[in-house]
Amino acid sequence: MNDGGGPGDARGFPSPAQDYFHGGIDLNRHLIRDRTCTFVMRVSGNSMAAAGISDGDELIVDRSLTPRDGSVVVAVVNGELLIRRLHLSGDHVRLQTDDGGVPTEVPELADLSIWGVVTRCLHHV
Amino acid sequence: MSSEPSLPGGRIALVDVNNFYVSCERVFDPALEGRPVVVLSNNDGCVVARSEEAKQLGIATGTPWFKVAPEAGRWGLVARSSNYELYGDLSARVMEVLGRFGSWQEVYSIDECFLGLPGDERQLLGTAARIRSAVMRHVGVPVCVGVAGTKTLAKFVNHIAKRNPHMQGVCSLDSMPAAEVARIQSRVPVTGLWGVGGRTAKRLNAMGIETVADLKAADPQLIRKRFSVVLQRTVLELNGTACIPHSEERADKQQIMFSRSFSTPVTTAEEMDQVMAVYAQRGAARMAAQGLNASVLTVTAGTSRFAGGEKSFPSASARLPVPTQDPIQLTRAAVATMRTCISEGTQYVRAGVLFTGLEPADGQQTLDPFVSDLDQRHIGDLLGSVRAKFGEAAIGLGQGGLAVPAAWSMKRDFSSPRYTTEWSDLPVVRA
Repeated sequence: MNDGGGPGDARGFPSPAQDYFHGGIDLNRHLIRDRTCTFVMRVSGNSMAAAGISDGDELIVDRSLTPRDGSVVVAVVNGELLIRRLHLSGDHVRLQTDDGGVPTEVPELADLSIWGVVTRCLHHV
Repeated sequence: MSSEPSLPGGRIALVDVNNFYVSCERVFDPALEGRPVVVLSNNDGCVVARSEEAKQLGIATGTPWFKVAPEAGRWGLVARSSNYELYGDLSARVMEVLGRFGSWQEVYSIDECFLGLPGDERQLLGTAARIRSAVMRHVGVPVCVGVAGTKTLAKFVNHIAKRNPHMQGVCSLDSMPAAEVARIQSRVPVTGLWGVGGRTAKRLNAMGIETVADLKAADPQLIRKRFSVVLQRTVLELNGTACIPHSEERADKQQIMFSRSFSTPVTTAEEMDQVMAVYAQRGAARMAAQGLNASVLTVTAGTSRFAGGEKSFPSASARLPVPTQDPIQLTRAAVATMRTCISEGTQYVRAGVLFTGLEPADGQQTLDPFVSDLDQRHIGDLLGSVRAKFGEAAIGLGQGGLAVPAAWSMKRDFSSPRYTTEWSDLPVVRA
């Protein structure tokens, strides 16, 4: 098929249909499970460096996943989006940084507002 | 016009996002939750969207911002400039989630769509609740769902759901006691109905038809004679006969939409390109006639509910490099955006294009012959590669090449970042 770039092609723009036919690696396909509920966010701060998440890195965040004990999540705390590791044990819910900082205790699971679950970190090396 | 026949026992859901623009702003700025928030029109002129809290302050849609601004501090009122890139992207995501629930989907505007819901009527309320929680979970915006046998009734019960917080955003006509429905219909004025405007209402009132219940009891033939086939359909739909076909064209101050069903399914990307080209050019003509430019476009497609194959309702949105009414640019954008979300071989029976972020086009004329002439010499590719290397403002045609914002670049004093469409604008999370 015409790739859309030929001089005789009235459309005259590079055809996105090339995506269907070449064998290049498509990061969207490999890094994103469901485009509809996946967002990219940028990290500010180093309190999660021990988890491999550094200042300036980009995170892939999936809103539809169910957070588990130990998940790295984006949580809403006092109207702010924070990256924390979620600890669920018995009736205790804690949001923790990985640098030994003071954890945020959440009295009730229902009070916890999780924005999404972090699935990947695009770390700048 | 090919409107899809209704299934026996099938129901129609009207799903819309509550205070859509404000809800989009809140997704990435949770501090706005619970506060009065307004979104302003182009150039921060007047209020186009309000949160519930802002409505309670008595701020009306269309109020000029300068009239509200002096009180903002005292009220704790937050204003945002329209961020159509964000709204378009979240709209496409919402529509895609909703499409998963419907046997068919008709995207009606940037923030509302009709869905076909098959199944047992006793389960519909549960389905509506699942739709609501899925959109909240996947995208983060609240929706209301009204379910009934016709579009007019689905719209009507959607309003009931909105006005009754205890219903938690969902209402199904089948789950309401008939006496309760009759009571509400005898209280709501005809203007509360989809498609009944103030002028029609005045004439109806003169005939003694004041409420929804009055119109429901009116003689459809008489209504057709005195008014139109459109209002006759409203009467029939109030009585449970689904007869309003899929709308193919819709235009108001906020959006221009083209959408239709195909007589034979479209299965290849090339055929879909042609469909997009036709819609984009019709949209361009409409915008030229109204003196408007679009800044964002959203494309949607859908498979049939009857075909055995895979069901799919893809949707995607794109920001135009500059606001435009140029048919060439719009065609390109529509074609390229649609290609990102459809797959070869799938049988699509519907497609549509929605233009939003409309703004006055004054003074900024595109020189069509000049642009297309350059395109044939691959200037477009050259510009693209220069931009990729040196940034968006490095080079361009005419005003597109100015690093300094051109005259058309709007006043957007309170704009939120383009969180989902610009790599440089990603939302920041604190670690």
